[in-house]
Amino acid sequence: MTPSTELRAGPRTQPSFVSSALRIFDLSLGQMLWSRRSVFLALLVGGPVLLASSLRGIVMLDPDAVPRVNGALVGGSALFGMMIWLLYIRFIIPVLGVFYGTALIADEVEDKTVTYLFTRPIPRSAVLVGKYLAYLACTTLLVLPSVVLVYFAVVPISGGVGESFPSLLKDLGMLAVGLAAYGALFAWVGARLKRPLVIGLVFAFGWEPGVLLFPGYLKHLTVAYYLQALVPHAMPDDSAVSILLQVFHDVPDVAQSLAWLAAITLVTLWAAGRAVERREYVLEQ
Amino acid sequence: MTTRTRYFVIASLLVLGVGMGSGLVAYYSSYPMSALARRGGPDELKYVPHDVSVLAYADIQDVMHSQLRQKLHDAMPVSENGQREFRDETGINIETDIEHIVAFAQPGHTGGPGGMVLERGTFDVPRIESLMTQHGAAVETYKGIRVISVDSRHAMAMHNGMMNGMPNGTNRMMPPDTRPDRAAAAGDETFSVSFIEPRLVAVGSTSLVHEAIDQKNGANVTSNDEMMKLVRSLDSGNAWAVGRFDAIQKEAHLPAGVASQIPPITWFSITSHVNGGIRGTVRAETRDPQAANNLRDVVGGFVALAKMQAGSNAELQTLTRALEVNVAGNTVELSFAVPAEAFDALGALGGMNHKKPAGQKPAGPAGQ
Repeated sequence: MTPSTELRAGPRTQPSFVSSALRIFDLSLGQMLWSRRSVFLALLVGGPVLLASSLRGIVMLDPDAVPRVNGALVGGSALFGMMIWLLYIRFIIPVLGVFYGTALIADEVEDKTVTYLFTRPIPRSAVLVGKYLAYLACTTLLVLPSVVLVYFAVVPISGGVGESFPSLLKDLGMLAVGLAAYGALFAWVGARLKRPLVIGLVFAFGWEPGVLLFPGYLKHLTVAYYLQALVPHAMPDDSAVSILLQVFHDVPDVAQSLAWLAAITLVTLWAAGRAVERREYVLEQ
Repeated sequence: MTTRTRYFVIASLLVLGVGMGSGLVAYYSSYPMSALARRGGPDELKYVPHDVSVLAYADIQDVMHSQLRQKLHDAMPVSENGQREFRDETGINIETDIEHIVAFAQPGHTGGPGGMVLERGTFDVPRIESLMTQHGAAVETYKGIRVISVDSRHAMAMHNGMMNGMPNGTNRMMPPDTRPDRAAAAGDETFSVSFIEPRLVAVGSTSLVHEAIDQKNGANVTSNDEMMKLVRSLDSGNAWAVGRFDAIQKEAHLPAGVASQIPPITWFSITSHVNGGIRGTVRAETRDPQAANNLRDVVGGFVALAKMQAGSNAELQTLTRALEVNVAGNTVELSFAVPAEAFDALGALGGMNHKKPAGQKPAGPAGQ
C-alpha cells in the first residue's frame, strides 16, 4: 500500500458552526479594519483623544486654565465622566453600532461579494456571526484604547489616577457591552429590513433619546435604558428639567441591566442569523 | 489575518495592557494595604460585644494626614489649645499617636445606651495612669489586666478640663442629666480606661470594659452574622459605621408622632474615604422593597431640591452634582463625592464672612 493511498480523502464534512464563524472572523477583521469606513471610525475615536490631549496641554501650559462649568472647577474624574457620557455613550457607541452593524451583510450585498460567502459549505448564519465578531473586535480594539488614552490625559488634571481607576474598568466593560448590544441589534436591522441605515439612525438618535424622557414602559424598549444603568458616573444635569427627570429616573439595577443587554444581544443576533438563512438576496445587475 | 492587522491588534492590546497596568499600580499605591487585611473588619472587633447596635471605625492617621483636613484647617481654623492641653496632660498626640479607632454603642443594661472606644496607637501608659489617679481614679486589676476607673462626674470634669485648658474644669461643668430613665444610669455607671493589650486602649463604661476583657476568647460581634455581613459589604474607606437604625430609634425615646413619620429602616451603613476630598456612600436597608422605593423617592426629592437651589451657585453645584440615589431590593443608597475644590470655595466663603469693619482703612505702605 503506497503512502498516497493511505491519504485517501474521506467524505467531506461541513465545518462546524464555530470554526466557520472564526474563519469568517479572520477574513473580515482585516477587511473591516482597513476599509474606507474605518477612516470615519478613526476620526470618531481620535476626536476625544485629541480633545483630551489639547485640554491637558493647555492646563500644563497655564495651570489656571483648569476647566470650569458654570464657574465651578471641574475635577479630572468629573471631566472624564462627562466625556464618557456626552461623547461615547450618547454618540460614538450608537453611531458605531448603526454604521457597522447595519452594514455587516449589506456591504457584501452592495459589493456583490455575498455570493462568494454563501456558496461556501458553511451555514449562512455563521457568516453573520463571524462578521459580527469582527465588528466587535474592530470597534473594541479602537474604542477601548481611546478611552484609556482619554483617561490618562484628563483625570490627572486635578485628581488621582489611582482613585478613579475602578470607574475606568467599569466604563470599559460598559462600553464593550454597549458595542455588543447595539451591534447585534443593528445587525438584525440590517439583515431584516430595507433602508437599515435610516431606520438605525432614527432609532438611535430619535426613538431612544425621546422615549427616555418620558415615564412609562416604553423606555424598556431601548438599549440605552439598560446601558445607562451601568455607567459609574453621574449623568450631566444641564437644566432643571433634566435634574427632575434624573430624580424620577427609573434606573434598573446592574444585574438586571446586564441580563437584559445579554438577552438583547443574543436574541437579536439569533434573529439576524435566522433572517440571513431564510432571505433570498437578489443582486442588482 | 494579515501582518498589518496582526500588528494593529498587538498595538491596541499593548495600549490597553499598559494602561490597565499603570492604573492598577496607581490604584494599589493609593490604596491602604492594611485595608486588604481588614476584609471582615479590624482585629479589635474581637473585643466588641455580640449585640451592639452601632459599630464604627476610623483610620485616624489617614484622616489627619489627608489633604482635606489641611484644607479644612486652612479654611476654618480651630483653636488647638484643647488638643495641646490634652497632649501635655496625657502624652497622647491625637495627630500622631492614634492609628485607628473602633467604637460601638450597645443597648444599655440599666436603661440608657452604653458605648466604648477602642484605640490602637502609641500611649504613655504611666502618664495616663498618673493623670487619672490625680483626678480621683481608682486602679484595679480585672482578670490580670489593669483597669483605671473613675466616677462619671469626675470623668466629665477631667474631660472638660482637657478640652477647655483648665486642669480642674470646675468652671465648665455640663448640666446634670435629669431625664428619668437616665438618672439612675448616670449614678451607677463609672468610666474606665484599660490597656487591654499592648498598644490598644479601651475607653468606656466600666461594665463594657470588663465585658471587652471577657470577650477576648468568647462570643463577640464577629459571630453576629447580620452585622458582619454589612461590615464585609462596605466599600473601601477610611471611616465607616454600621448599625441598627431601629435600635437607635428605640433608645432615642422619640415622641410617638415623630417616630411614626420615620421610614421603616432596619440597618444603615455609612462609608467614606477622606483624601483630597471626601467621597462616600450612605445605605439604608428597609423592611420591604416598597418602603425602599418610598425612601428613594423622598431622598431623591431632597437631592433634586438641593440641585435646583444650587442652580445659581457654582460652589454648591460642585457639591450637588455628585449626589446620586439608587435602590436595589430593600436597600437605598446615596452616594456623594465632595471634591477638594469645594473646600477651597468654602474657605473663600468663610473669608468673605470675616470682612473688615466699616471705616477701618487698610494698612498702607509706611509713610502714607
